[in-house]
Amino acid sequence: MNTPHKLLIIDDNKEILSALKDFFTRKSYEVISATDGLEGLKLLETEQHGFDLVITDLVMPNISGVALISIIKKKFPDTPVIAITGWGEHPEALATEAQADKVLEKPFELSQLDKLIKDLLSRKDN
Amino acid sequence: MVPQLIGISESIERIRELIEHVADTGLNVIITGESGVGKEVVAQNLYHQSIRKNKPFIKVNCAALPDGLLESELFGFERGAFTGAERKKRGKFELAHQGVLFLDEIGDMSLNLQSKLLHVLQSGEFAPLGSERDVRTDAWVIAATNQELEKKVKKGLFREDLYYRLNIIKFYIPPLRSRPEDIPPLIDHYIKKYTSQFNRKQILKPGPDAMEKLVAYGWPGNVRELQNILKSSIVIGNWEEIIDDLYLKSRSAAPSMSEELAIEGVSIVDVLLDFKGEYSSDYDSFSLKKIKKKALDRIEKEVISFVLEKTGWNRTKASSILKISYKTLLYKISDLNINPPRSKPY
Repeated sequence: MNTPHKLLIIDDNKEILSALKDFFTRKSYEVISATDGLEGLKLLETEQHGFDLVITDLVMPNISGVALISIIKKKFPDTPVIAITGWGEHPEALATEAQADKVLEKPFELSQLDKLIKDLLSRKDN
Repeated sequence: MVPQLIGISESIERIRELIEHVADTGLNVIITGESGVGKEVVAQNLYHQSIRKNKPFIKVNCAALPDGLLESELFGFERGAFTGAERKKRGKFELAHQGVLFLDEIGDMSLNLQSKLLHVLQSGEFAPLGSERDVRTDAWVIAATNQELEKKVKKGLFREDLYYRLNIIKFYIPPLRSRPEDIPPLIDHYIKKYTSQFNRKQILKPGPDAMEKLVAYGWPGNVRELQNILKSSIVIGNWEEIIDDLYLKSRSAAPSMSEELAIEGVSIVDVLLDFKGEYSSDYDSFSLKKIKKKALDRIEKEVISFVLEKTGWNRTKASSILKISYKTLLYKISDLNINPPRSKPY
């Protein structure tokens, strides 16, 4: 049996986080979640085998999603990152500058995010 | 010497942890919190834990200089760039190359300079005044403010794009009143520091009663106020007197209120007369200091209640009319025990 892909999802909105976690767990991913950037960074630094993909909100307390993307791209350049941005927030350009692989604007369909994840993971696996 | 970040509260522990994790990233940082909470201490700690620690740490106070002067301070100028520019001057961005540029009071920067700062943050380049060439800078920008930038963005007083570019890593240092557990270790730390600094006999440590009052005090000036109080304790040497003064000063923060009341026909003497009965049989506890404090409490309570009533308990409006912060207003409502009328929803 194949080992499931491991996702790290970071969002300070607990409802969104829990919805994403439930959805992708049902889709047979191993999902680890964090409610802010610092917690997310600590998980990234301590996870023994690393994550296959990271999904992060952009505007968060302490370490923003933009900072996380920059750090991930420096320390774990092979890990794809999807940035999600909230309503009325405009840091998309910064996320792209920090080399996010995809930027998704809320509201989005979960199936849309699912497809993006599949595309990025298959690109990575190949 | 690196200034120590003192405290045992969860928020200070969290700040230490955050410093440790981001000091080497070189990503833009913004440090927020009320005046006197120690924003520069956090900036210094970031710098000292980073690989830039042997490079310059340059501080610029954006509120201390007029716009034109601040621009030439930041970016420098060529000889003859303007009248009086007799020789070339390097700007702080150039001086902080490979080090840290600490921009204090960033919330006070004009929109014109904000756009110039944004350009440097985007491109890593700037042109000194009167120069045709661009200078590259690798300064790590750490900004600080005691203002709520989100509100300034909404009012159009702070550029949204600059806000997001600075807000890559954000530190918020809570005021001392919301982390009272940090007060005793801060007092211990500064007593040790000042004892050795002033080369005098041991500063008198506050006893348990005095410490309790110091912990309960609101510290509107935060750690800076606490430092000043400890310095004055060297001179005064009597904690009871120091604490009395402290509470008295905090009560008289709004000096014009009694005047306003007098104008509206409410005599301050009427307020004082109310205390007559209380003190008439007990002259031992009678003191002008105590009367003053009680009178001020009463005036504050009446004025705040009046403004709250007029604004329908809209605390944002009331704090703006009273020219006090929203947080101070909430503190006063609870401290002075002001209750909303039951019939009016708020």
